[in-house]
Amino acid sequence: MASIKPSIRHLNTCLRCVRRSANGNAALNGTSVRLLSSSAAPREEAQVQVQTQPNPMDKWPPLDPALVDNKRDERRLIRKEGIQPIGSRRRRAALRTSPQVPFEQLPYQCFQEARKFLLEDRQEKIKQIETQRLRLNNLLAQDPAVSGGTEAKEARIRSMRNYLNELVIWADINDPLVKKKFEDGEGDMNKPVYRYLADQKWRKYKRLILEQRIYQFNIVPDILPALDPVADVDLAFGRRKVAPGDFVDSLVSESMPRLKVQTFDQGEKLVTVVVVDADVPIPEKNGFTYRCHFIASNIPISPTQTSIPLNQLDQTRKVFQKKAADKNIALPWLPPWANKGAPYHRLAVFVMEQSEAKALDVSAIGKTKRDGFVLRSFMDKLKLTPIGITLFRTKWDENMAGVMQRAGLGDQVTVEFKRKRVEPLPYKRRTERMR
Amino acid sequence: MQLPRIFAPVRASIQLSSASLIPSSRVLDTFRAANASLTVSFVRHATHQSQGRANGAKDGPGKRLGAKKTGGEYVIPGNIIFRQRGTAWYPGENCEMGRDHCIYATEAGYVRYYRNPLKHPKRQYIGVCFEKHETLPYPPNAARRRRLNMLAVRRDPEPEIGEGQVVVGDLQVGDSTGSETPRNKPSTKLVMGKGYAFREANWEIGRVAEKAGVKVREFVPGDRFRAWRKSKARKEANAERKRLRGASKKPKTKKKR
Repeated sequence: MASIKPSIRHLNTCLRCVRRSANGNAALNGTSVRLLSSSAAPREEAQVQVQTQPNPMDKWPPLDPALVDNKRDERRLIRKEGIQPIGSRRRRAALRTSPQVPFEQLPYQCFQEARKFLLEDRQEKIKQIETQRLRLNNLLAQDPAVSGGTEAKEARIRSMRNYLNELVIWADINDPLVKKKFEDGEGDMNKPVYRYLADQKWRKYKRLILEQRIYQFNIVPDILPALDPVADVDLAFGRRKVAPGDFVDSLVSESMPRLKVQTFDQGEKLVTVVVVDADVPIPEKNGFTYRCHFIASNIPISPTQTSIPLNQLDQTRKVFQKKAADKNIALPWLPPWANKGAPYHRLAVFVMEQSEAKALDVSAIGKTKRDGFVLRSFMDKLKLTPIGITLFRTKWDENMAGVMQRAGLGDQVTVEFKRKRVEPLPYKRRTERMR
Repeated sequence: MQLPRIFAPVRASIQLSSASLIPSSRVLDTFRAANASLTVSFVRHATHQSQGRANGAKDGPGKRLGAKKTGGEYVIPGNIIFRQRGTAWYPGENCEMGRDHCIYATEAGYVRYYRNPLKHPKRQYIGVCFEKHETLPYPPNAARRRRLNMLAVRRDPEPEIGEGQVVVGDLQVGDSTGSETPRNKPSTKLVMGKGYAFREANWEIGRVAEKAGVKVREFVPGDRFRAWRKSKARKEANAERKRLRGASKKPKTKKKR
């Protein structure tokens, strides 16, 4: 399949110019589609004299949103008819050229043989899954004394479960339909295969960048001693997406961001979101400290429920349940701010899993002090484990003064940081002996 | 060497005397007779120059490399701690490496020479720690120790920029009182020149006289009298200048003689 694809694509690009005129008005004009021929068809030559003045609108026939495959047509579709094209351009291009034959009936012998082979493999895997399930059930029913103590039994159960999960993924991983669905973004994240594929995709690019940023900006060890992100976190202020480590304008970051947290393992989790500033200057101590900008707890997420709009957290809930205990936000959003002249501030957004999905007491968390907030001890106290992280930076800009005024930091607006003069070492006089 | 050509006469002589065999003791004579022009020298010439710069300077001036600050010594940012060729030492905490691999401090503190097997098993580092009692390396998972090295200053509220003031970047070029020279008039536009300095464009400089209303007598082609007077004045001025120069020089030359 993979070897066929590029050749088809090449052929497509070769024929694109020909096809454009052909698919546009071929049916209307009655001209035959003659690919790969440079001479005019005899019928066409005969018709030249007969043809009357053509309708100028025939040049632009209506477009099919499922089949447009070039930029110009897509734009025309969106502008003129206000319809968004369906699916990816790759898919539309493929659909346009292929007669829509299902996989089972595709007339490629090699492909069909390969499918047969994969189906056999899948049957084998399913059989293995059944036996493994049976074994696991037997083990679960077994007396711990027989299987060598409770610890040994649990370890065996764990390893057997892991193997079972792997088998479930292996059964579907080679299915061309699964691959197609995943690439089109229609994968069901409740199914282990799609979660596995999404995880692989994340680890191949986005996570590498995130790791690099964590390293470059010294999030480890400045905020946490170690970090192993297992969930994909996307940060956006309104419609503005923020890549890890970007500078964000103070006016943009004045309102709360929204998070998209994609987890890759099964089940619902309760998470706490914490935003920490790691570069709060203290000129008295000639050093830096931390400040907490936001804490929200008890937010449910799952592989299918990924969105955390922080600005809507308490608003939506208030309508249904007006209990103070059901609030999510412990510490409301403090807009990130930096003094003029001070070095940039790194703001890290942590998504932390609550142990055993137990709800935390939000009002108790709300008593934590913002200044001098140490995430290490906060995490230990509440038994949180970090699963996802993203970060952005902020520094003084032209909108900062207004943002600080509105946040009630009017006295800080006029404070500016200037470099301290380094006193030179006392000059050592050269004595006669030294000469 | 082309051996066949050398032996060609020998071959010829052999062919000549092919009828009669030469006794072995006379072979060399035959050879000599045939090769009257060939000289075989057994002198061995030098292939490597023994004198001059060929062997390189063996003992140049010392480059004063090595430690400039000892362990535990107090340094300030920019102090060079170690000079070296190559990287015998690497920069550790609060240190950087210069263009010539010298290690210098980026923070004020106390010099430490140390190894950090977690970072690199073989390298030796030079670092600067803030407190006298501290040792390097710091524990790997602890938060970094950093200094602000800045002062918080109350800033006056920003002065409002009035009309007619030229602001280039953050720099205010002139006040709008009109006290400045006509070149710095608010209407002039400053552009970045070659030497990274803001200056007027050449065409604007060319218009200065016109703007200032400087009158120049018009040039009349063919007015020889005026041309002669001008050239005479120029020559006189040059001669005067030359005389002045000579006057200052003369005493020196006299002394030398």
